[in-house]
Amino acid sequence: MPLDAEIYGHKEAIAPSVFWATALHVSLLALVVFLPAVLTHNGADWGNNGSGGSEGGAMSATLVSGIPLPPNPQAKPENVLANESKGLSQSLPAPAAKEDEKAIAIPDKQAKLKSSKEKASTAANAHDVPKQKPQANTPAPSNVKPREMAKVENVVPFGSGGPVAGPYTTFQQGNTAGGLKFGEGGSGTFGSRFGWYTDVVARKVHQAWQSEVNPGITSAKRVYILFDISRSGSPSNVRIEQSSGIPSLDLSAVRALQRIDTFGPLPQGYNGNYVSVEFWFDYRR
Amino acid sequence: MKRFLTLFVVLLALVLPGIAQDWIRTGTGVGGEKIRIAVPDFKVVREEGSAQALNKTFNEVLFNDLSSAGIFDVISKSFYPLGDVASPSDAHLDVWGAPPPRAAMLAFGNLGVSNGALQVQGWLFDVKNAQSPQVLAKQYRESATDDNARLIAHRFADEIIFRLGGGVTGIAESKIYFVSSRSGHKEIWTMDYDGAAQHAVTHLNSISLAPRVSPDNSRIAFASFYKGGPNISLWSLELGRMVNFPAFGGTNLSPAWSSDGTHIAFSSSRSGDPEIYVCDQNGNNLKRLTAYHGPDVSPVWNPKTNAQIAWVSGRSGLPQIYIMDSDGTNVQRITDQGYAVSPSWSPNGQFLAFAWVRHYGPGAPGASDIYLMDIASRKWVQLTHDGGRNDFPSWSPDGRHIVYQSTRGGSDQLWSMLADGSQHVQLTFTGSNSQPNWSWK
Repeated sequence: MPLDAEIYGHKEAIAPSVFWATALHVSLLALVVFLPAVLTHNGADWGNNGSGGSEGGAMSATLVSGIPLPPNPQAKPENVLANESKGLSQSLPAPAAKEDEKAIAIPDKQAKLKSSKEKASTAANAHDVPKQKPQANTPAPSNVKPREMAKVENVVPFGSGGPVAGPYTTFQQGNTAGGLKFGEGGSGTFGSRFGWYTDVVARKVHQAWQSEVNPGITSAKRVYILFDISRSGSPSNVRIEQSSGIPSLDLSAVRALQRIDTFGPLPQGYNGNYVSVEFWFDYRR
Repeated sequence: MKRFLTLFVVLLALVLPGIAQDWIRTGTGVGGEKIRIAVPDFKVVREEGSAQALNKTFNEVLFNDLSSAGIFDVISKSFYPLGDVASPSDAHLDVWGAPPPRAAMLAFGNLGVSNGALQVQGWLFDVKNAQSPQVLAKQYRESATDDNARLIAHRFADEIIFRLGGGVTGIAESKIYFVSSRSGHKEIWTMDYDGAAQHAVTHLNSISLAPRVSPDNSRIAFASFYKGGPNISLWSLELGRMVNFPAFGGTNLSPAWSSDGTHIAFSSSRSGDPEIYVCDQNGNNLKRLTAYHGPDVSPVWNPKTNAQIAWVSGRSGLPQIYIMDSDGTNVQRITDQGYAVSPSWSPNGQFLAFAWVRHYGPGAPGASDIYLMDIASRKWVQLTHDGGRNDFPSWSPDGRHIVYQSTRGGSDQLWSMLADGSQHVQLTFTGSNSQPNWSWK
């Protein structure tokens, strides 16, 4: 006797479900089995056809970290001939000067310099030449107001921007940012007195940091590292003041400092034996 | 069915990155911006004799030293405000800090000649710091010759580079030793790092190869056919003559100093097959490190630790770079293909620079180029491109420059570049010059 005759209200087709479930599991199994073979490297291919290594002698890796050199800008995005720092506010374009209809045009000064032949020809055609043409060379009429800048009180003027010379200094590298704060060990004014030295420290830490952060991490809390710089310039006493909660990030920050042999001797004008530095580090990707 | 397909795609998307992801340990960029530094011409304050000519030399050398240091963006002189900057009272920092120069640092000073003595005062000012701008103030006094003007400029440049480069000593006073045949024989020559003051060191009328200066800059070890050989020879730069070094028999080539100056590694065929040997600085306590069929040549120490030696071995066919511990154990092959020779270990121990023909043999028109390899990760970069045959790289003591030999100009000449492969500068122009070696300091 069939058991299901009266128990179920309607008959359910189980075969398609079983088929699709089997198909899914088989495909998943195939995925698990074959993907590693497809994706992993053989280990011996680091020289030529490995990750990033392209044929024909192109670069295989950007190996510049470790060489104590700043990055070499390959191409500058814009030609900023005279003013690379645009400050924080930009002057507005001057309103177009309205020409006074009644103003008499100033004759062209350059006309005197023209050769006599041209002079004769221009004299002959004087009446035919349209009056707008000499105006191209004339200076602006005196009744045009000087170009006005947009005045805002609390911002850096246009062109006067740049790094702030203060106790804090920051840097950015790809998806990370770091900053330094110079603390005690002396008068406490180290950062403002020796801004160039704080720049050196920031640059060196920046150079020494390598992305050893677990790639699964997309963002982290700020990690604070404390260390001292001795009179001779060598960092010591590197410790984590406040962890980010992500060990690989903490470790990469500590390692960055451990890679550094020296920042160079402390400035001659500084009397303390050491300066302590707080170094924070943001990570976001 | 559609639902299942979606599920499958989602699963795939979840699984794929999990497998493809790997731990990446690569520097994405180094350092912040280069430091913008302005170097207005020094002003002659006491004119006597050739003061103007000396000042011209001084200004050119200082500007060139800072430009080639690799850490500065030296601002073009056409952007400078008018007027001399001879002393701190002339330095209007607000003008220098504003566009067009927009300098972060200002190096300036004056120069005078009195009673045959050249006196130079130089300052380095932090333009952004109006309260206490002075970073450096230096005064130099030497007899008034062109060489001394050059020397003082080098010293002042090195001071600036030392301060602003984070404690890495500049290389402006370093020397390059090399082999030149311009006298008719292959002799050891020397020059300043910028190619100035080239002169012969040895006059042996023989064939001298592979000069390596000792870490204290007192002796040069080289391979020489002087008195038979080729043997390892030592030339004292202090005495100006050969000093005693034993002849081991066979073909002895490519000496290399350990960075503490106590040992010399070299290649010798005294046993019939070229192998790597190590001995004391005076030739005693000879020890053989390699014992494998095939030539082993061109050893170089890890200057950071002296615990490792990289060398070139032909044991597997074409020459490849190998690394071993300095007692001969733990041999590892570093390059996997092509024709790799002339290793040079970076001062911080992290990189090997070497010449590599990656695709060698018939049907593979490979060129010999300079490559850089991070030893820990075995990742490499190519530093020279499309420029003749490049060989014999040698690191500068600051780890920022590499000098090498290249035929890109038609003949074998010496060039230098920054260690990231930029700023190639030709140093020698006459004769045939090869096998450069940068001094240790």
